[in-house]
Amino acid sequence: MSEQAHSVTGIDSRKLLMWIFLASDCLFFGALISTYMIFKGNINNPPYPTDRIVNGEFFHGLLNIPLTSASTFVLLMSSVAMVLAVYGAQNNNLKMMKGWLISTIGLGIFFLLFQVYEFRHFLHEGLGISTNQFGASFYLMTGFHGVHVGIGVIILISLLFGTFRRNSLGPDTGFHIETAGLYWHFVDIVWIVIFTLVYLMPY
Amino acid sequence: MENTHSSDANHLSIKQYLKIGALLTIITIVELIASYVALGALLVPILLILSAIKFVIVVAYFMHLRFEHRLLSQIFTFAFVLALCILLALVALFIYDPSISNR
Repeated sequence: MSEQAHSVTGIDSRKLLMWIFLASDCLFFGALISTYMIFKGNINNPPYPTDRIVNGEFFHGLLNIPLTSASTFVLLMSSVAMVLAVYGAQNNNLKMMKGWLISTIGLGIFFLLFQVYEFRHFLHEGLGISTNQFGASFYLMTGFHGVHVGIGVIILISLLFGTFRRNSLGPDTGFHIETAGLYWHFVDIVWIVIFTLVYLMPY
Repeated sequence: MENTHSSDANHLSIKQYLKIGALLTIITIVELIASYVALGALLVPILLILSAIKFVIVVAYFMHLRFEHRLLSQIFTFAFVLALCILLALVALFIYDPSISNR
């Protein structure tokens, strides 16, 4: 590790930068989740997120909790796979690192497929981004989260290709994998919050 | 300069990481069951507590924040608390005056 990479605090500048980025992303997702929470109780027209009776008419809720629980489980397991990939990289175990990195990428893509299925189902049920407040805030929030997962998958694929090309661990590979892992786990904790507040909360 | 970053450190063993993964799965299953059981007013606090436990576990052990420099914890905690305040302030504002969201 180069000496120039360390800040006056003794923390690697690149790691410090990643944590500052994640902190700023907290505010970003905080605003998106707030918007959803505000609009959730003030939806003017169907479809609705949860079962609702409006003027004596019953409307089925769109949110599919069992399906989303499965996708949440997939993302949680991808975090476990990621931390094991970091462990492999930090212990010079190339095979272990590659294996768990491929698992993380696969689980990330699987999560994105869940999201594509959910979006397509919602569109089929008549919920577009401009249909009502639910559609606008839901697609914006979960869509941005999906974009984060997509970017994470691209980062991990590029790191994996790097190790395949060299067929060894470079001097900074462990650090790069660890930093990418920070981003990946952050995407996971954002989903933990979204899953609870958006899918499980009755209000 | 002293190298204080933890890239080379083994914070936990593979077995411990797998145990944490199993714990996260169990908490998610409990959350799911709780959302289907008629818990009344207890449901929201239970879900929030379980979600907070998962959040803290991932940040502390998977992101290794428990073992990192205090400054990193302070940066992240400050931003998270600020985001939480924004959420609470906005929700409180619109619940206090629901007509605002209908304009």
